Order: sequence, then structure tokens, then C-alpha cells
Amino acid sequence: MSSRTVLWLVGTALLGAAYVAATVFVGGDRRMLLVGKTTDAHHQFELACETCHAAPPFADAEAGGKSLNRTCRTCHEDELEDASDSHSRSMFRNPRMAAYWDKLDARLCTSCHREHRPEITRPGAVTVAADFCVACHSEGDQDVRLARPSHAGLTFDTCASTGCHNYHDNRALYEDFLARHAAMPALAPEPVHALASRFRTRQHPAGKALAREDASAPAAALANDAALVDWSGSGHAAAGVNCDACHAADLPADAVPADLASHWMATPTTAPCRSCHRPQATSFAEGRHGMRQHPRIAKPRDPRDGLGNLGLSGVVPDPMADWLSDLPVPARMTVGEARLPMRTDTPAHRTLDCGTCHRPHDVDTAQASVEACASCHDDDHTRAYFDSPHHRLWREELAGQASPGTGVSCATCHMPIAEVRGRTMANHNQNDNLRPNEKMVRPVCLDCHGLGFSLNALADAKLMERNFTGTPSVRVDSLEWAARRSGEPEEQTRI
Amino acid sequence: MIGKRHLITAGLALATGTVTVADGITYRKAADMLYRVMSADREVYTRKVVQRLTVDRDVLVVSEHFEDDAALPLPAQMFRFGAEAVMDNTDDFSYALLSLHPINRKNGPGTELEKNGLSYVAENPGEIFYGEEELGGVRYFAAVYPDYAVVEACVQCHNNHKDSPRTNLKVGDVMGGVVIRIPMD
Repeated sequence: MSSRTVLWLVGTALLGAAYVAATVFVGGDRRMLLVGKTTDAHHQFELACETCHAAPPFADAEAGGKSLNRTCRTCHEDELEDASDSHSRSMFRNPRMAAYWDKLDARLCTSCHREHRPEITRPGAVTVAADFCVACHSEGDQDVRLARPSHAGLTFDTCASTGCHNYHDNRALYEDFLARHAAMPALAPEPVHALASRFRTRQHPAGKALAREDASAPAAALANDAALVDWSGSGHAAAGVNCDACHAADLPADAVPADLASHWMATPTTAPCRSCHRPQATSFAEGRHGMRQHPRIAKPRDPRDGLGNLGLSGVVPDPMADWLSDLPVPARMTVGEARLPMRTDTPAHRTLDCGTCHRPHDVDTAQASVEACASCHDDDHTRAYFDSPHHRLWREELAGQASPGTGVSCATCHMPIAEVRGRTMANHNQNDNLRPNEKMVRPVCLDCHGLGFSLNALADAKLMERNFTGTPSVRVDSLEWAARRSGEPEEQTRI
Repeated sequence: MIGKRHLITAGLALATGTVTVADGITYRKAADMLYRVMSADREVYTRKVVQRLTVDRDVLVVSEHFEDDAALPLPAQMFRFGAEAVMDNTDDFSYALLSLHPINRKNGPGTELEKNGLSYVAENPGEIFYGEEELGGVRYFAAVYPDYAVVEACVQCHNNHKDSPRTNLKVGDVMGGVVIRIPMD
């Protein structure tokens, strides 16, 4: 090998190392640094590494680990609090639990959820073995079989995989809850989702309704007849929300009509939506549709900060520093980046925002509850919905043949109506009750179905593919066992 | 309650640990002070909130499943919530409400010191157990204080719970103990 070749190889290696070091410590395109496929949802902001990796660049392993786990809690702590976390971190931080730390360190999220490990990642971003319960519940006083003879023949890989237990959220699975709801029939005599019923029959404030002739818009906009027809029949008009509220949101309070045209935006941003629908916007940013708007996603690094940390402040020319800027996380999720099956006739570049699901002028929540979902999603569960009993009920409700709240749309289950400070509104975090799917039981299923039927249905993967057309072929035994221990009658499991 | 009892040592071997000084206060003194606060808060919650609103005024209920039942948490639950909240805020001390006969087995003794301490306070009414132990590579001063069935409601709940391993409790019995730990390193 000639000396020139050696010099060339050494130079190339040094340049490569410098580039990698620059992307790590200063800024740049860090896609090459991803050590493994990022889990679903997190992949949306995987280029904002500091969202999770918030420790200083030269922090030791322990400090890095603590920092990493702290960032998990930054986004997920409220969710765990709501879930009445059965294995709370604070419980395991007590030194009396030290004996368990070596078995499965429940103080750390990363003990069970390791990022960038696709080869061992299971649903829920779980990377620990399926029989993880064996670590703490198989020996001594904590052996579950001591007080539960029914569990004698069970293997530990079935604890959390058969609809009986979850590690964090057992609100629909704890024994007394099972026993209390043991006598519920498979289908309620008058099935109706109570909060959905309230939402669909809510009244707008009296005296605020606007008509077409009240529209506050420049002359050119007033020529858009279709928009005016939609708006005048919408909830916005009924609640007194005029055109300028969205199209000229920065119009001063003392503006005169002549000012309207200069402030008019033909295509408004989502800022006006968020200003009035704050809880919905917040929950939207917590789900997979709007996650890229989550305020906790780290902003791109300023390369000048990194250069300063390396003692190179002012040494590197500005164009070079600018070139070292991080790739920003796009502001919106797109259909093309989804990891679930999407329709091939939907543009991959379609972004997800308020207007993606809500038509801008009629803001028809029924349309946003089904058609909007099916305009992107294309999987067995979605396709089967349109032939399902749930969809039949939805059609009957929309046709006025059934009471409000009796229909079941996609949103009924995946963005259920919740009560927030006395008001009913849709939870726009579609992931809130999705996994483990028993989280859906209390806010959704139990309004119409019995607990046992619901658990059986949610444990039946084939039935879910058919969008619950048919009856469960899986039986979750826990309700029967709980009822027996409590002396409660058992549930009817067939409709 | 502690002022009415003798603060005795559980053995000469423990003396060294109990006289070790941290910032001018012995571990034993620090544990005793922490216990006084915990005990006072618990008693106030039991008498001024639970007893007054559920028994005297009969306007609320108290329930193990207080969230589902829109009820008050049990005094023991309140105590444990406090213990967990402390663990979110500091490593300077920890505490737990434990029993040799727990309704929930996770609240049974988990270390040798806990077994010895809970047995000691059960067999020696009015006395406190002090000791040291190493957990997770850290040496701890530990104190175990007796936990009594102070009102009939405590007895009824424990004696009638389907998961209770002891169903013959009487008012005044030692039901378990409060374990306080302070790291010595």
C-alpha cells in the first residue's frame, strides 16, 4: 500500500470521526446515530435526541441512566398517576424493596422498556421477557399461588398476556372490581354511552347563535357560498363564533370593519382552534396524531452552544456553524410516516392537524368520528367496522332511529367522550386507552357491555380484527375466580 | 404517644448506631421526631376527618377503593400515600406501615430487621425497636414503632376483610408497626 493511499485512508477516517463527533457534541444530521429502530410513537421525534437523552454529553452511566428515566416520567407521569400505577416507582424506591432491585428494578422505566431494541420489543414498547412477573411473585411470601389456589397451574407468561393483569393499570382488573361487576349481563338492557349521549345532546349558549347574514368576512370571502352554508349550520355559528375569530384572529378589539381585509387569512393556522379548544389540543398532542406538537419534545440544538462547550466559540465560521444545525423534527405527523397500514390512495404527505379530521366550516363531529379515520387507516379492524353491529348502531343514531349515545363510531372507543370540569369533550389522545386494551373497559365498554364479556372480547384478537362482529371465543377466567372468592354471582357471557 | 412511653434500646449491640450523630441530632432522635409528625398527622386524619365525617356526621364514607367509591381513603392508605410521596422527594429517610399479619402481603416484613422489629413491638407493648441494616449497599438506621388498633373501625375492617390473615384483633392490640429508615452513609 502506497504512502499516499495510507494518508488518504487516515485523512478520510479523521474527517469521518470529526463529523461524527460534531453531530454528537455540536449539531447535524443524527440519523446515522440511531442505534436501532425507534419504537412506534417515539419514532416521530427520534431526531430530537435530547427529548430522552437529556444528560450532559460526558455524564457517567449512572447519571445518564437517571436522566433517561427522568425524561420518561416527564411525558408519562400523569398517565401513570391516572392509572393508579400498581407498581409505582415511589413504592420501589423505598430501600425496604432493595431485595427486588436485582431481580427487576422497578425504579427504572428502562428495566422493562428499552428503546432502540426492535428485536425484543413487544406491544406497549415492552422489552422484558413475557414471564417477568416471576421475578418477584414466585417465591416466599410474595408467591401468588399461596393465597390463590386458582393460580396453581398457571405459568408466569400468562399473567399479563391473557386479560388478567397489567403491570401499571389494573383499574378494570383488580379483584374487588371484578367481583362487584360479576353479575353484569353481556349487554345492558338499554345500551348507551352516557357521556356520548350528553355530548350529542349538549345545548349551545342561548342568544349567541349567528346566521348567515351575520358573517363577519371580507366581500371576497362572503362570495364562498358553500363555506357560508356550512358555517351557518355549524356548532361554531350556534355558539356565536364568527368567521373573523379564526380567519382574522389577530384583529384588534377596537378594529373597524375596514380593517378586516388586512387581517384576513384565507387558511387560518390552528392557533385559534387551540385557543378555544385547549383541553382537546392538549390531549391531541399527547396522542400519536399530534405528538409532534408536544411541548416536551426537545428543540434543535444551537450549534454555537456545542462549539462553545468544546472551546471553539468564534473559531468556526458562521456558515460552518449553520451547516452543523440539527435536522428539526417536522411540525406535523404525516400519513406516510405512520407505522400502521394506511390507504394507498391517501397522499403520504398529508399532515395531521385539526383540519385533517374536522372539516373547517361545518365542523361535523360525526364525520370526524368515522369517515375521517377511514380516510387514512386501512387495516382489518377498520375495514370490518363498516359491516359491524357497532356501525349499524351508529347509522341508526345518525338517522334519528336510535337515541343519542347508542351509536358506536371509531371515536366512541378510540377518542371517547370524557368529562372535564363538568364539560363533555372528546379525548383527542387516541392512544390513551389503547394499550393494554383493558384500559378501554371502564371509559367505553362498560356503558353497554358486562365486564366479563368486555374482557373476553378484548382478549380475542380475531374478534377484534372482525371489529367485534360475533361473540368472544376466548374466556378470561379472572372474573369467575374473583366472584367465587367474594361469593358474588357470575356474569352472563353471551348476548 | 411516644412521650408516654419509655424509649428503650433493643439491645446493647445497637447502641453504637443510635448514638451516631448526624448534624447534631442522633439518628434515634431524628427517627423519633419523624414518627411524632407521622403519628400526629395520622391521628388527626383519623379523628378529625374520617371519624367526624363518616361516623359522627355520617356525610361521607371511607373505602379501600376510595376513587371508585368517591370516598375518603382509609387512614392506612393515607399513611402509605405519604410514604410514597416522600420517596418522590428525598432519599434522606423512608418509612413504611407494615404488619406481621398484613391484608396485602406486600406490607408484610421483607427484611430480617423488619421481622425482628415487628415481632419485638408486638411482644413488648409500648416499646420501640431500634437497629441497623444494610440494604442495596447502603447502611440504614432503622426504628420500628408499634401501630395500635385505636378505634373499633380498625378492628372491624381487619377482622372482616377476606384477605386478612388475623381476624381476632381487639382495640388496643398491636396491629403492626411503622418502620423508619435513615441512611447512615
